Amino acid sequence: MSDQAIDRTTLPIRRPAFQGVENQTLGGSQPDWAQIEHVKAPAGAPNVLVVLIDDAGFGNPSTFGGPIDTPNFTRMAEQGLRYNRFHVTAMCSPTRAALLTGRNHHAVGMGGIPEFSGGFQGYSAMLPKDAAPFPKVLRENGYSTACVGKWHLTPEREQGPAGPFDHWPSGWGFDYYWGFLAPEAGQFDTMIAENQKFIGVQEGKGGKPFYFPEAMTDEAIDWLHGVRGHDAEKPWCLYYSTGCSHAPHHVGPEWSNKYKGKFDEGWDKLREQTLERQKALGVVPEDTELTPRDDAMPAWDSLNENSKRLFARQMEVYAGYSENADHHVGRLLDAIEEMGELEDTLVIWIWGDNGASLEGTPTGTFNEGTMVNGLPLTDEEQMQLAFKWGGLEAWGSEMMYPHYSTAWAWAGNTPFRWGKQVASHLGGTRNPLVVHLPGRVRDSGGLRSQFTHVTDIGPTILDVVGIPQPTHVDGVAQQPMTGVTFATSLGDAGVADAHTQQYFENFGNRAMYKDGWWLSMRMPRVPWRLDPEMLQTFAPGVWNPDDDPVELYYLPDDFSQAHDLAAGNPEKVKELQTLFWEEAEKYHVKPLLAGFSPFFGILPPLGANTVSTYYGDVQNIAPGLVPRVYNHSYTISADLYVPEGGAEGVIVADASHLGGFSLFVQDGKLKHTYAFLGVFEYHQESDKPLPVGDVNVELVFAADAPKPATPGEVTLFVNGERVGGGRIEHTVPFGFSGYAGMDIGRDNGLVVDRRYADKAPFVFTGTVKKVVFDVAPHFDADDEHALHEHASQADTARGIRA
Amino acid sequence: MTADSHKDVLIAVYMFEDLAEKDFNAVLKLAEEKTITVEGVVLVQKDPDGEMHVTETGDHLGRRGAKAGGGAGLLIGLLAPPMLAATAVGAVAGAGMGKLAKHKLEKGIAEKMETALPNGAGAVIAVYDTDGADTVGKALANEVRTSVATIDGLSPKQLKAGLAEAQAGMAGS
Repeated sequence: MSDQAIDRTTLPIRRPAFQGVENQTLGGSQPDWAQIEHVKAPAGAPNVLVVLIDDAGFGNPSTFGGPIDTPNFTRMAEQGLRYNRFHVTAMCSPTRAALLTGRNHHAVGMGGIPEFSGGFQGYSAMLPKDAAPFPKVLRENGYSTACVGKWHLTPEREQGPAGPFDHWPSGWGFDYYWGFLAPEAGQFDTMIAENQKFIGVQEGKGGKPFYFPEAMTDEAIDWLHGVRGHDAEKPWCLYYSTGCSHAPHHVGPEWSNKYKGKFDEGWDKLREQTLERQKALGVVPEDTELTPRDDAMPAWDSLNENSKRLFARQMEVYAGYSENADHHVGRLLDAIEEMGELEDTLVIWIWGDNGASLEGTPTGTFNEGTMVNGLPLTDEEQMQLAFKWGGLEAWGSEMMYPHYSTAWAWAGNTPFRWGKQVASHLGGTRNPLVVHLPGRVRDSGGLRSQFTHVTDIGPTILDVVGIPQPTHVDGVAQQPMTGVTFATSLGDAGVADAHTQQYFENFGNRAMYKDGWWLSMRMPRVPWRLDPEMLQTFAPGVWNPDDDPVELYYLPDDFSQAHDLAAGNPEKVKELQTLFWEEAEKYHVKPLLAGFSPFFGILPPLGANTVSTYYGDVQNIAPGLVPRVYNHSYTISADLYVPEGGAEGVIVADASHLGGFSLFVQDGKLKHTYAFLGVFEYHQESDKPLPVGDVNVELVFAADAPKPATPGEVTLFVNGERVGGGRIEHTVPFGFSGYAGMDIGRDNGLVVDRRYADKAPFVFTGTVKKVVFDVAPHFDADDEHALHEHASQADTARGIRA
Repeated sequence: MTADSHKDVLIAVYMFEDLAEKDFNAVLKLAEEKTITVEGVVLVQKDPDGEMHVTETGDHLGRRGAKAGGGAGLLIGLLAPPMLAATAVGAVAGAGMGKLAKHKLEKGIAEKMETALPNGAGAVIAVYDTDGADTVGKALANEVRTSVATIDGLSPKQLKAGLAEAQAGMAGS
C-alpha cells in the first residue's frame, strides 16, 4: 500500500481489502500478499531517540555553561542545535506524561504523581484513552518502539502481576520495556521490571557489579541490534530515560573523584562562574543577571569547615554521577553510529525534567527517606549519620541514599531562582534541550531561542517523521495535542515562536506565560517541607490562591526573571491571572492541590482487603503493594518447614538497612530487625532454637497507639509459644523506600540487616510455605479513618520527590 | 575519692582527619597552658586507604610523641597493638605502652575504633579532669560526635572501663 493510500489519522490502520481471488480450491485462486504485510512508516522516516535526564538543572551541564563535563551532550549540540528557552512542568511524572502525549499534564490525568491516584480528572494518574502517546502512534505507523530506564507513569497500586497493564509502558505504546517503574532507584540495586514483570535486582556482567546506567545502556543497545538484525529497514523509536541524576546519587569514586576540589568555593561562587560561562557560550543573553539567593539557602561563607567539606563532596558526587550519565548516552550514540544510523536519527535530548531537585533539605541528607518521612535532622545529625554509614567515601555508594543540599540544586539551576516543584519560576521549568537531525539542521552548533515546551516534543516528532496526529485511536476520538511543532525552527533560526501561551502548575505553584510575559504565582512553601503544620496553611477555606504574591516578568528582556514588573503592570497581572483560570478550567487543573488532597481529608475509598497471603517465594513486590506495616499494630505469620539439622535465611524482608524490616533465622534462632531509616536499628530474637519439621513463626507488633510513627512492642512466637521480643521506640510513618521491594524467602538487593550482608540474599534453606500479613488488627472507626488518611498522605509524600 | 579526682575519658570522632588534628592541637594547648588538667591525649587517624595510625600523642604538660608519658602512654597502650602495628609514630615505645601491653586490654577497643572510623576520618581520645569538660568541649570545634565516660582514677582497669564505656556510647543504638 502506498503512503498516499494509507489513512494514518485513524489507528490502528486497517488491513487493506483483499485484492486476490479465493475459489473453492487453490485452482485459480490468487493470493494477495499485502494481507500479511505490516504497516510501514512513511518513506524516509527517521529513527527517533528521546533522551531524558532526571532531576537536573539548566546550569548543570557544561554544554550550557555548567560545571559538569558533558562531552556527548556537547557533541550532539555541536552537530545539532541548542534550545535555550525550552520548558518542562517542574515535576517528574507530569513532565513525562506531557512529553509522551504532547498534551498538558493535567489533561492526561498527571497533575500529580502515580503514587497517589486522586479522584479528580487532572490527578487520577490514569492515562485516558483519548490521549494516545506518540510512541503508540509511531508503533501503529510502522515503528519498533522501546523504553529503557526510569518510567514513573504507572499507578502504584497497578504495579503487580494482577495489573491491569494499560498504564505500564506497553500500554503507552512501547513494544519493549526494561527499567524501573518507581520514582527513583538505587543505581546498584535497582529493582528491574521487564515488559510486564518485575525481574528484580540483576547481576553485573563481566564480573563487575551491577550499575544501572551501564546496564540500561547495554539493554538499549541490545534492543537496537536485535531490531536491526530482524528488519533491515524498520525505523525505531527509543525513549532512553535515565535514573540519574535523581537521588540516590550513586556513582563510583572513579567518577566523583574527578571533581575533587572543584566545588570548594561553594555554591555562591559556582553560580557566578556558571553565568560567566553561559554568557561566553551564548546560551544566555549577554545582559542576563544573576537572580539573588533566597533566604532559605545559606550563604556559603556562613558555613563551618565541616559543612563546607561535606557539602562540597555532595556536589562532587552529583557531578560525577551526571557525567557518568552523559558517558553512557555517548555509548548509545556510538552504537547507533556504528550501525550507520546516527545521521538518520532524530535525537531529542533533554537535560532535566523539572530543574534540579531542592528536596535534599538545606543540609543535604545521607538518606532521602528521612525527608520523605518527615524526620527533621539537624546539620550535626546529618553529619553523624553520614559518618555512621561510611563517611565521605561512602557518599555515592550503596551504603547511603544521598541527596545533596538544596543550595547545590539552586546553583544547578543558574541563573534562575528555585527549582523542582516550583512551577512558578524558571528554576523548575526551564531545562536544556539539544536536537540533532543532520538532514534538517543547516547551521550545526546553532542556538534556538523560540519559546518551546515539553508538550511540543510529540507534535514535533510526528511532524518530522511525516505522521499526522490521529483523530481516533482504538475507536476513541482523541484530544488534540496541546503542544505545537517546532520542526520549522530546525532549519530556520529566525522563525517566530509557535508556542505563544502556556500555563504551569504543580502542587499549587503556578505560572501563566503569554507572548513573552510570565506571571509567577508561588505558594509560600519550600519543596522540602511536607509537614501538616505547613500544609494546613493551604487548607480549603484557609488558602485563597489569588492572594498569593505575584511576580511579573517580560522574558524577552529578562532571561533570568531578575526584574519583577508586577507593581507597574497591574492590568497585565490581572489579565494573566484570569487567563490562568481559563486554562485551568480547560485542562482540569482545578481543584488546585488535588494532588495533596489526602492532607486535607479527601481520601480514596478505604480498601477492605487487609490480609495479604504469599504462597511460596514471591519476590520483588513493588513498594506500593507491600502490606502497610506503618502506624498501627500488625502481625506477620509464616508457615515453614525446617529440615533436620536446622535452617537459616530470610523468611520475609522489605527494603534495606536504610529503612526496612527482616524476619529471619540465623544461628538457629528466629530474629527480627527493624531499620529505622538508617538512624536506629532494633533487633529482637528468640531465646531458643527453632524446632525442625513444620513450624509456625509469628511476629506481633503491638503499637502503643494507632498513630503516625507509633512506638510499640514486638513479640516473637514459635508454634504459639512466646520466644522473645522487645521494644521499637521509633517506627517509620510513611514508607521505607521509594524503590526497594519485599521478598519472601530471601532479601534481594541491599539487605535490611548488614550482619548477614555477606550471605546476601540469604535464601532460606528450609521451605517457606506461606507468609500472611494482617495489617488491620481491631481499630475503632476513628482510628481506622485517621490511619487511612495518613497512608494516603504517605503515598503522596513518597511520590512528590520523584 | 573526691570530685577532684574524677576524670573524663572522651572519644571525639571527625569526618576529616586534618580537622581531628586541629582539635588535638587545641586540647594539647590546654595542657601546655595548664588551663585544665589533661592527663593525656591521642590523635588517631585513618587514612584514605583504610590504614589506622596513632599519629600523635600528648601528655599532661602538652608534650608530644616521645616526650609524652603518663596518661598518654596509658591510652596508647589501650589502643595497641593492632593500631600500633600500622602507626607512623616512632616514639610510642617510650610512652609506657610496654607496661600496659601485658594487660591484654587493647585488641577489642582498637578494633572497635577501626571499624567505627570511616576512611579519611579521625578521632581524638583524651583523658582530663572532669572539671575541665566545658573547656575541652569548646576546644573541640570540629568534632562530629563525642562520647564521654567518667572514671574515678587512672589505673589501667579504670581506663579500660572508661574507654569501653565511651566506645559504647559512640556506637549509639
